[in-house]
Amino acid sequence: MLTYIFKRLLIAIPLIFGVLTLTFFIIRLAPGDPAAFFIQPGISPNVAMQIREQYGLNDPLPIQYVKWLGHVLQGDFGRSFSRAQQPVLEVIASALPITVTIALLTLIANFTFGILIGVISAVRQNSFIDRFLTVTALFFYSMPEFWFALMMIILFALKFPLFPASGLNEVGAEGFGPFGFAMDRLWHLVLPVTVLSINGAAGIARYVRGSMLEVIRQDYIRTARAKGLPERLVIFRHALRNALLPVITLMGSSLPFIFSGALFIEVIFAFPGMGRVTVEAIFARDYPLIIANTFISGILIVFGNLIADVLYAVVDPRIKL
Amino acid sequence: MTTEPKVISLSERCRAHSGLCRILQLPFMLLLLFSTACSKGGDGHAGGTAMDSTLVITSLGDADYLNPVIGASVTSSNIFGLIYPSLLQSEFDTTTGLLNYMALEKQLRSSPSGHTAKTPKAALARTWRMAPDHRSITYTLRSDAYWDDGKPIVAGDVLFAYRLYGNPVIASPRQQYLAELEGAEKGEIDFSRAVMAPDDTTLVFRFHKPVPEYLALFHTSLTPMPEHFWHNVKPEEFRNSPLNRKPLGAGPYRLKSWKPQQELVLESNHRSNLPKPGNIPQLSFRVVPDYTVRLAQLQTGAVDVVENIKPEDFQGLMSSKNPVDIKNVGLRVYDYVGWSNIDQDEYLKSGRAVPHPLFGSAAVRRALTFAMDRQSIIDGYLGRYGVPAVTDISPSLKWAFNEKIQPYPFDPQRALSMLKAEGWVPGPDGILQKDGRRFSFSLYTNAGNARRNYASVIIQQNLRRIGIECKLEVQESNVFFDNLQNRRLGAWMAGWSIGLEIDPMDVWGSDLEKSRFNFMGYRNPQVDRLSALAKEKMNPLDARPYWLEYQEILHRDQPVTFLYWIRETQGFSRRIEGEELNISGVFYNIDDWTLSPSRTLAP
Repeated sequence: MLTYIFKRLLIAIPLIFGVLTLTFFIIRLAPGDPAAFFIQPGISPNVAMQIREQYGLNDPLPIQYVKWLGHVLQGDFGRSFSRAQQPVLEVIASALPITVTIALLTLIANFTFGILIGVISAVRQNSFIDRFLTVTALFFYSMPEFWFALMMIILFALKFPLFPASGLNEVGAEGFGPFGFAMDRLWHLVLPVTVLSINGAAGIARYVRGSMLEVIRQDYIRTARAKGLPERLVIFRHALRNALLPVITLMGSSLPFIFSGALFIEVIFAFPGMGRVTVEAIFARDYPLIIANTFISGILIVFGNLIADVLYAVVDPRIKL
Repeated sequence: MTTEPKVISLSERCRAHSGLCRILQLPFMLLLLFSTACSKGGDGHAGGTAMDSTLVITSLGDADYLNPVIGASVTSSNIFGLIYPSLLQSEFDTTTGLLNYMALEKQLRSSPSGHTAKTPKAALARTWRMAPDHRSITYTLRSDAYWDDGKPIVAGDVLFAYRLYGNPVIASPRQQYLAELEGAEKGEIDFSRAVMAPDDTTLVFRFHKPVPEYLALFHTSLTPMPEHFWHNVKPEEFRNSPLNRKPLGAGPYRLKSWKPQQELVLESNHRSNLPKPGNIPQLSFRVVPDYTVRLAQLQTGAVDVVENIKPEDFQGLMSSKNPVDIKNVGLRVYDYVGWSNIDQDEYLKSGRAVPHPLFGSAAVRRALTFAMDRQSIIDGYLGRYGVPAVTDISPSLKWAFNEKIQPYPFDPQRALSMLKAEGWVPGPDGILQKDGRRFSFSLYTNAGNARRNYASVIIQQNLRRIGIECKLEVQESNVFFDNLQNRRLGAWMAGWSIGLEIDPMDVWGSDLEKSRFNFMGYRNPQVDRLSALAKEKMNPLDARPYWLEYQEILHRDQPVTFLYWIRETQGFSRRIEGEELNISGVFYNIDDWTLSPSRTLAP
């Protein structure tokens, strides 16, 4: 298996470089100018030129590429155009913890609730509870997140002011002490995590229900029941383990999501996470930041897929890597 | 197969159900737990000390640099304006629309109303003297002004700052202010003569041409920088310097904390005598990108100031639990429909400026203006926060505004007859045509502007009524701006925010190579001449006749259809007192604002 992992990682290197090179050229082909902000009446026309010079955008494209490649090979992704020349890796490092906190909380809630709801509706197929859960899950699954988030804010921040409408902490939260600060942070995360996980859990529940229904019709489940095992053991040890195989794929593909952030939620709840970093970078034509983001999400997608494949082999002895 | 679920015994079913109930209960219990645990704290904060002493202002984006040399965004300049000292205090006179400049012992003109919102105590300059030939200005600085680290603010700090503003490696967005200094006409400012600081309290600026006093004051009063703090920073490292994140100032506020893209907190600077420590102990600038959330927070009292409130939300805000006032700052933003006066394809191909086949004639452009029901757009969207526009000189700049010009009324019949006189007659499909060409075009605008979307739909209907086919095209902002800059569009809807100086050459100048924002390709030598004559006048009021004529010409030529001026509206929590807003900014006198005691503390 180690050889397999090593091989996959080796293949990933040219793949990610290919992606970065493509991104490098594609974003430069897109209309728009990183110095466009400085093109306005009252600002000397020289400023945009000087800024472009500073960013190294006046060089011919192949030279820009070679310079960029040299820096990237030394681990230097450059400085952000749109965020006050902060090194891009610093920008990402400050956005990642926020995104990861939200995403991990969300993922845990997603999978816990998703699997439970899926199992229940599969085991009770066609009962009232199954129909109720299916309809409810579909209802939430088809609801646009941004709209749902705004409704939650209107309901729980405006009409019944139980939770804050946005931000990570209250004004003056630094003075609450470490426990108070953490509680304040959690209090601010309730609405966004609820929105994200209700939506996500609904999707996962559908997957789990489907695959569980398939599994509980198998002969070995009948055998398990026939030999007198308690139903709980049959469902959770024999059926669920097999039904979770497709869910593992889902987990693997969720990895990039943990780091790439949930744009709408970040915009609506004013969290400075990765989703906003990426989208603002694209709108500002902040080339170094766009490339660094692509790099990170590229690596995560490769890793996510690799982890999913390895996990498959771990949980399913039939698969050999 | 369907019998299988029934194998589960009744007791197990109940257990599974209760398990389910527990699962469903869990999030709600958690919610309840948090809300009870935190709402106590929350109420405590909202009504307790932190909010009582903090004014919370929301903004769409974060500040870029807290450095007057390179800070470019409006949020940045609002903030560094409170941190740094200024050479002069400027004040916008709403009765004339002119800027007034004040030093400690001198002002450019006395205020006719006698009322000044600003105190000259904020100025570093005691007085100034303009040379009789208008080629130099000499300031005398006060000697009792200090940076926050206790070092005195001296003339050398201003000189140091001007060298930074003028350094091409630093690329300051304010280098335009240095355009009159000696040497600038040759491309390189001669700093050995242009700005001099013979001693700590004397500062001399020299110009390469006579400069009106008001303009000299405007352009020589850029913010100084503490030389002793910055002198070791190389120009090429200036933008990356960590000092940008801990500015050393002398103004009424100083930086307390800055969490990028989240919150920037200023605290009242108790050492400041320029003019005094800010009244409100803390100002918090919070980044809240979503408009609906900003509104919700204003309604709940979590924030105090929200800029650019849309007219459709006024009603909701007025009746919210937390009382909110809607304020506006005067007319400085207008929307227009731009017409390419020249055939842009031909111009791009050969550089020749020939009239546009549809919009090349002033009579056609006037007819288009007659055909548009601008009042309906104002009534339907802006209400009393919109004013019909006739040219690009704002009614708020009363000294130059031409009140005699009346906007062209909505008159489709007249538009039709004017178009007929130009040879445009209805074709078989009902669309006007001339020499086989149909009057059909695309009107481009940028994505995400609800007001322009609203206006463009009305315009489309208006034009359809007189037999003109107008297709609406929305483009991503970068793409739209790129197309405009390269004069690729025939018709578009956009807007300008005007400066307080009238300088129309960038937008209307006949030299299309130089006039970067003349997207229309409009050329009228008389406009160039009037603008040059007006700028030569040493007293702005003497230039008034030129500006009056300039407006008449624009009104007659209709290089664009001016739609409406917008009163930008701001939501203010009623706990703020003493605020005064005008065209020079929402936070014009923020250091004088006070917060009334929180309502939750009131008995």
